[in-house]
Amino acid sequence: MQLFRYSTSIYGGGDTVIGASWDLLPWFVAAGAAFIVVHAVARAISSRAGKPH
Amino acid sequence: MPVMSASQANMSVASAQAASARAESGRIRRHHLADRLYHWAMAACVLTLMATAFLPIIGYKFEWLGLHWTTGVALTALVAVHVVRAVIWQDFWAMVIDAVDIRNGWRLVARAVGGKGPAPGMPGKYNGLQKLYHTGIAVLVLAIIATGLLMLLKIDTPLWRRDPYRLSNDDWGVVYALHGFAAMGLITLVMIHIYFAIRPDEWRLTRSMFRGWITRAEYDEHHDKRRWKAEEAR
Repeated sequence: MQLFRYSTSIYGGGDTVIGASWDLLPWFVAAGAAFIVVHAVARAISSRAGKPH
Repeated sequence: MPVMSASQANMSVASAQAASARAESGRIRRHHLADRLYHWAMAACVLTLMATAFLPIIGYKFEWLGLHWTTGVALTALVAVHVVRAVIWQDFWAMVIDAVDIRNGWRLVARAVGGKGPAPGMPGKYNGLQKLYHTGIAVLVLAIIATGLLMLLKIDTPLWRRDPYRLSNDDWGVVYALHGFAAMGLITLVMIHIYFAIRPDEWRLTRSMFRGWITRAEYDEHHDKRRWKAEEAR
């Protein structure tokens, strides 16, 4: 997986960065989903632990 | 000794009753109408920008550019108004992380990992994590706006002609990369924002973004009165 999108100049030389790689898009979505799941589980556990027996 | 006429006495009684009724209504103003309108206009712009940016990338092809750049210009104007309003008319420091927030955060973490330290104090209008979130989204949106305004040099519009040679290819690569990374980061933060907005235990905050107020009981339960001197909602 690459961090950037590249283009190759028709005049030769190395590749040029033309932007962020869109392959990373699912990772950003996954990061949001992971935060939500972890927070929801943590809050559920803490609220259950806080309830009087 | 001052003498009060019957009509003055009636007015005093009426105003006292009105004040009493407001107090009994128990509503604390959290967001003025202007701020709620700003929030929802910004939300509409951000969702439109995300849709026009990412739907074509994941396969839904349409003429996205015109709607994208015009919405971006609208978002820029909204954010400019918000910044001026926050600095001049609102309590700017209410949204800035301070030493008390850091101490509260430290106490929260210490207790969460099993420590027995003192309980964290109540927040003011916003808690430390809300301020941290606002800082993060401000950085991303400002980065998107700055790079997006530069990218307008690449397109012809009714207002200006394109001039893509202002920057080198390498510099354009940096601009596009920053725009892309900030936009993808915005997806993460918007997901988290919507998650908190629909959580039942945060519903009072979501309601306040629709109706402008929280109840007196919610204010007493969740906020430090010394850090947020609230006003009654009318």
